[in-house]
Amino acid sequence: MSIVTDLLAKPGIIAAGEYAYRGDRFSYRGTLSEEHARMASIMCRATTMGTNMEGRMLEVLQPRSGLFPPRGWVVRGSDYTVCVMANVFCMLDNAKGSINDTIDFMRQALVKVSSDLI
Amino acid sequence: MATLDELIKLPGAMAAFEFRGSGELLGQRIAYPERIDESTLDLLAHMCAANMSIATMQARGWEKVTHMKGFYPIQEFTLVGFDWSVVVSGLDRERLKHQGETNLPPFMGVVLANEKADYEAAFATMEKLEPAS
Repeated sequence: MSIVTDLLAKPGIIAAGEYAYRGDRFSYRGTLSEEHARMASIMCRATTMGTNMEGRMLEVLQPRSGLFPPRGWVVRGSDYTVCVMANVFCMLDNAKGSINDTIDFMRQALVKVSSDLI
Repeated sequence: MATLDELIKLPGAMAAFEFRGSGELLGQRIAYPERIDESTLDLLAHMCAANMSIATMQARGWEKVTHMKGFYPIQEFTLVGFDWSVVVSGLDRERLKHQGETNLPPFMGVVLANEKADYEAAFATMEKLEPAS
């Protein structure tokens, strides 16, 4: 099974997808329209690029920091959370899902994904 | 509102810090000074301020375009690194803004070791309300 399929099987995940680091393609499944999924993937990619730049800058200041290389980021709103690891994103309903479980699953499932393409 | 002393007691906490919306570091507690220092926290605070602003802009835009609610205002932004994570909250500021306050408290942040991190406990600590006086 793909990680997107695995994510969608978890409680509270309403949508999940993947995007190319170079920005020319994306895929998704779940309760989003194609247009909204495209917008989500563009925002996720932009923020991932920013956090990777920040991680590299921090590494120059303090080598062997535990924040480098960046693996992903999470934004939590009142009802929904967006989790991104590597080039995979998902949206979680806060009332139905676990952020701890989602982050742990994505970190472990994507631990071997290289960030060289960023 | 959580204090730095409460945040540094969270499981896996390496450091806790507070900063202005413009990124200036205002205070910190460091549990492992051989691994993380004030200079690193200063840069990290500026990064976190930038990320909170970008995430807030994206959540605002997303809600306007999609008519999906529940993303704005941002409660926490978390940056997940290889071994550590940084969790930042601005929820206290949002509550006070909602009440019409203009004198806002700082953002709060905590650096956690991933292997011991309990993100939901960090969110709960950062979101707790002051007891009614």
